[in-house]
Amino acid sequence: MKSFYNKYERLSAYIDNELSDDEIKKLEDELKFSKELQEKLDELKRIKMLTISSVKSIEENPFFETRLAAALRIKTPWYKKIRKYSPVIGIVAASVLLMFILKYNPQIIDRVVEQQKSNLAAFYKENLKPLLFTANLSNEDIFNFAVYHQLPLDEQKKQCLQFGSDKNGKQFFEIKTASLAQNENNLEKFERELNLNTEQKYQMDSILSAYKKDLASQVLVNDKNTVAINPNIWNYNKALTADLISFAAKVSKRKLQNIFPPEFTHEYSEADLNRIVHAVRAANTNKYIFLTPDSIFSDQYEFNQQEFAKEMQQWSKEVQKNMQEFEKQFGNFRVHFGDNLAKLKKDSSWERDFNVVIDSNTCRVHIPEIVIPQIDLPDMQDLGSNIDSITRHLRDFYFEIPQRQKGKNFSYKYFYNDSSKGLNFNFKAFGFDSTFTAKNHKLDSLMRKKLKNFNYGFNPDSLASIFKYFMQDSTNGLRQNDLREQLQQFKKQMEQFQKEMDQMQKELRKSAPKAEPKKPFEI
Amino acid sequence: MKNKKKNEKLPLPQILNLDDDFSLIKRFIEGDESTFSTLVQRHKEKVRNIIYLTLNNHDLVDDIAQEVFLTVYKNLGSFRFESQFTTWLYRITVNKCKDHLRKIKIRQIFSPIKDSEEELGYETAPENSDIKEIVHKAIAKLPDKLRVPLLLKDIEGLSYQEISESIQCEIGTVKSRIFRAREGLKELLKPYKQELL
Repeated sequence: MKSFYNKYERLSAYIDNELSDDEIKKLEDELKFSKELQEKLDELKRIKMLTISSVKSIEENPFFETRLAAALRIKTPWYKKIRKYSPVIGIVAASVLLMFILKYNPQIIDRVVEQQKSNLAAFYKENLKPLLFTANLSNEDIFNFAVYHQLPLDEQKKQCLQFGSDKNGKQFFEIKTASLAQNENNLEKFERELNLNTEQKYQMDSILSAYKKDLASQVLVNDKNTVAINPNIWNYNKALTADLISFAAKVSKRKLQNIFPPEFTHEYSEADLNRIVHAVRAANTNKYIFLTPDSIFSDQYEFNQQEFAKEMQQWSKEVQKNMQEFEKQFGNFRVHFGDNLAKLKKDSSWERDFNVVIDSNTCRVHIPEIVIPQIDLPDMQDLGSNIDSITRHLRDFYFEIPQRQKGKNFSYKYFYNDSSKGLNFNFKAFGFDSTFTAKNHKLDSLMRKKLKNFNYGFNPDSLASIFKYFMQDSTNGLRQNDLREQLQQFKKQMEQFQKEMDQMQKELRKSAPKAEPKKPFEI
Repeated sequence: MKNKKKNEKLPLPQILNLDDDFSLIKRFIEGDESTFSTLVQRHKEKVRNIIYLTLNNHDLVDDIAQEVFLTVYKNLGSFRFESQFTTWLYRITVNKCKDHLRKIKIRQIFSPIKDSEEELGYETAPENSDIKEIVHKAIAKLPDKLRVPLLLKDIEGLSYQEISESIQCEIGTVKSRIFRAREGLKELLKPYKQELL
């Protein structure tokens, strides 16, 4: 089809006299022997003639030049000339105006930013209620706060607020899913371990209840997914832990040492404890840390406990009606932390003080020391700096493998409540005959950084665990690594042996008598 | 002596006739604006015809031709003498026609009611109309991109090279478009085959 068109196109160009001499000669040769081409040529010629004959030239206009000369004389006004540049001129003028305004009023932008910030802060600060109100904190929760530094964030306890401090003593808080929550009934276990009588249990409850009231205003939440934390909560935690340990030590120091290491079973005097609690209460500040789905900032907020108590009374009068509203507002309370938090610019005046680390399960916020009110807590500094090691000690588990029959495989399954997965151990019959100690560490974001060179084979986050185990038996020396070392050592020995053999061969050749040259054959 | 020989070998500078386009333009650039009217006189009819053939509208010819020469007047100072003046002039003319056709198309978008009389006029040719009229209307029905090169060739007698520079496309494309225009014309004139072809 294309060659057909090319052929006819050449004919069309031929009648237009647009072919080169060679092309004309070639085409004329083809025309001599092709009737089809001759017919097409005639047809194209007729069409060309028709075209030429059909179009009349336009009549001359004698006034054309006069009109043109007049048009040339008319000068286009300047505003018409610049009309086409009007959008660019507008943009440039607006930019220049803005530059002038900002040059002489540089505080305008700051004012706008501050205004926006305060608007945002006001939005997130609306309708804040104590955590007590949403999570319905029990004494068990307060106990867990003291020992495990955890507070539930919702009534169903799906999320929890974890407080802690890193090795450098810097405080942080985490919001994480409850799959990592501590074992239940810790308070009951603690009481049982101490063998508390009814009166002592009552005393224990009263200590916890007293702190519960105070803690109510330390963590506030609202329906906009905001969690407001009073930095003084870290001091409350120390005071509560000290109070509990002191109480337990008074009951039975010996039994308390079964739970805590001996260095952390200090018994404080009543006067010391009172002083500590007063100091902590006096350090209460109106400056809260606000964690919202898209920002973190520290700002003033005055929580009026008395007003809240009145509000609670009012609510209790119309329980049924308000419960529905409560359910609507707080029934499904759950803190959402998006990636926006992790992307916060560190140079922003709000966020530069806070270091946020987020993974699929946890949102950890490191608190600068300056935010937490410093109080003088005599004899508590050791407890404060080592408080994590106490609870970490509690989280390890230890078990002994019972005696088994020789030559039989052994299997043991352990479900650790703090983990989403159980641990399954299968041991083959290789003479396993001693104790087996296992340690389970939560792999949090900080540990992940430290172990970045370690290949996990999966995306490590706080749900993952590092599992350490220690075996003390006769098979310990036959680990794969040791075998490889032995093989390398053997290889080195063989290479050394080879060298020695080569050396010996050379020496033998040197010491051997030289053979006499052969004499020519004589006839 | 050597220099003299060298000078002899060098190409002689082009001596321009006083009345050719380039010399007129040079004089215009030097400040003699009267030469512009000579250029207008020389090329106005060609320009008007191209406009008429391209737009097929008698009423618009003078207005657009005026626009063409105003543009030439404004830009003649920057003429680079790299191509013929006529090539440059025809390119401006064709571009002005294209601008006009584009404006008409935009206007048509915003005015859905078509000029029915004009449409019908092209659709049905009267039985007794003369051959010239029939062919003229058939040419008018061709798309712009085929009609313009065909008329520039057959009516204005421009070469393929000049047409390609005027409408800014390859010579091969011009060749192909002219052939396709002729083929299209043949199809449109099929009902009058016996009388015409």
